[in-house]
Amino acid sequence: MFGPFRASSPLSGGLLWKIPWRLSSPQKYRHRLRLRRVDKVVSIVDSALAKKGLSTKGLERWKDEMPKEQEMLPKDKYTVFDRKEKKYRKGIHKVPKWTRVSQRLNPPGY
Amino acid sequence: MAYFRVTLLRSAIGLPKKTHGALAALGLRRRMNTVYHPVSQDVAGMIMKVKELVDVQEVEQPLTKTEMREMRRPDPGFYVEKRAGLGR
Repeated sequence: MFGPFRASSPLSGGLLWKIPWRLSSPQKYRHRLRLRRVDKVVSIVDSALAKKGLSTKGLERWKDEMPKEQEMLPKDKYTVFDRKEKKYRKGIHKVPKWTRVSQRLNPPGY
Repeated sequence: MAYFRVTLLRSAIGLPKKTHGALAALGLRRRMNTVYHPVSQDVAGMIMKVKELVDVQEVEQPLTKTEMREMRRPDPGFYVEKRAGLGR
């Protein structure tokens, strides 16, 4: 029951990684910082282009569609839509590469 | 003339090929690598592809590698008043 050779799930079944079902509060804090960092990059690129009277399609689309960190609901910040989950939501930390992808929008009504 | 100063903060390991391609096109090979590009639409499009990985600033003049290195050098904490052996 105790000691180095106890029967635990990783020992008897091989590889087992456990991801907690919700984010911890420091994780949420770092996630907000990352969201803000992306907002800052977009605003710097936008202002630099605007000084020259230019813009790009991708930038315009981002500004039209994507909410800023402050405008997002906590629900959208920390969870994402998933059709296989109960109540159709799972933690954003279950998304592959979640610290390096922008996932801000969810289907309306969910 | 304005330039974008782009620094790679997060690696693109495990991300799609297009992300790697955008970084290669920007000339970013490793983390904390800094490149300068003139402000233009095509550079802005490439930055938008990798916006989660980089830090961007708008600067007036690009700095050379030596200048950036000099800026990182810490203050030595002393200055030389007089060199020895020059009084002859």
